[in-house]
Amino acid sequence: MVKPLKHWSPPSLNLLNYGITAGSVLLCALALPLRFPGLELAGISPHWLLIWVVTWSVKRSPLQGAIAGLCLGLIQDGLTAPQPTHTLSLALVGILTSGLNKQRFIQEDLISVALIVFVMAFVVEGVLMAQFALMGDRTLTELWERQPQVALSSALLSSLWTPVVYYPLNRWWQHVHKLLS
Amino acid sequence: MYFLYRWWGRYRVVVVLTLLCIALAWSIRRTEGAGIVELYRLMTLPVQPNTAKQEQLINARTWELQQRLQELEARNQALQSLLEDPQIQQDRAISAAVIGRSADHWWHQITLGRGSQDGIQVGAVVAAPGGLVGRVTQVSPHTSRVLLVSDPSSRLGVTISRSRRMGILRGQDERVGRIDFFEKDPDVREGDIVVTSTLSRLFPPGVPVGQIQELQLDAASGPQAVVEFSVPIANLEWVSIYLDGQTSEALVTSEP
Repeated sequence: MVKPLKHWSPPSLNLLNYGITAGSVLLCALALPLRFPGLELAGISPHWLLIWVVTWSVKRSPLQGAIAGLCLGLIQDGLTAPQPTHTLSLALVGILTSGLNKQRFIQEDLISVALIVFVMAFVVEGVLMAQFALMGDRTLTELWERQPQVALSSALLSSLWTPVVYYPLNRWWQHVHKLLS
Repeated sequence: MYFLYRWWGRYRVVVVLTLLCIALAWSIRRTEGAGIVELYRLMTLPVQPNTAKQEQLINARTWELQQRLQELEARNQALQSLLEDPQIQQDRAISAAVIGRSADHWWHQITLGRGSQDGIQVGAVVAAPGGLVGRVTQVSPHTSRVLLVSDPSSRLGVTISRSRRMGILRGQDERVGRIDFFEKDPDVREGDIVVTSTLSRLFPPGVPVGQIQELQLDAASGPQAVVEFSVPIANLEWVSIYLDGQTSEALVTSEP
């Protein structure tokens, strides 16, 4: 039988923590191409990586948030197309979210995290739209027509699905933190 | 020096882990997520559409054949067969299930459940009952990623089947695209069938793309028309990939 977690040694507990953290990122990446009924709105699905970055950054420093955003942005680049890069928007989300936390504007409960995700979805899609506009591949009017649809659907769906990522991960990190200290 | 030493002693695990994370993420980007999409394919195997569904699509296939026939007649009448077309043959095709959609909200892409192990290369043309779907942009051993005709960055040389007028089709959303015509006053009407151009080096000529839905002949940037795609791109489940005449990567990156 597996030993209860409190009897684990700190190094193995740390290792398990890294494994679970990386596994949750992998699950979020795997969920990106999925379109299930109830999981999509006008062809748009929740931005799982955004939810993960917000969940991660809520209780961490801006640098940690930025690095998480960078890594997950690189993964999303791999899964779609590297130009324009997704690292910029997700890193910005990491920095902004941890900044919000430092200011103590917002408490750390499910509703406020969902609210952060809602706002950050607009940030992500806004930055991406600006990047597409700078690339000059698509005309501004086209982008501008698509923007409200993309941003609003993404914001609504992502914030609705936030608890699925936030609740277990947050519980786990709190638990590990308590065991390690 | 002592400060640096202490800093390293305290933070080395964090620094090493951070660098490791970045390196891992970078390698995923370098391999264009091949590992992740392969795992995705394995995990979604139980829910991938089965072959029986293909039967339902036969009616749409009939429509496509009618349009192709019409297109061939028009070409014959114009004696275009005398010209030397840069023909891309399309005899050998394999069908593949659509297992995933775009991993962000701006690109129009699909992921297919067949890859380089089945002989697919970058640049292969993808069609579905009804007409053209897009082109393969990335392959991993068992999956391939397709850039759809509906993506705004996809440019496609097209011909109006009835009047042989040519233009460039750009995707707009999953339902419609927009043609920019070369001429000031093109002979085009609502309901005209749009097919791929004989001048295209990337796509086989005469594949139906859609139907003219709306004309905007006095648009500021020259005459335009809105095209409704003949393939229901938003709910594709099966596509055919043409293996013959796959264009090389060099061609794909150049102008269509």
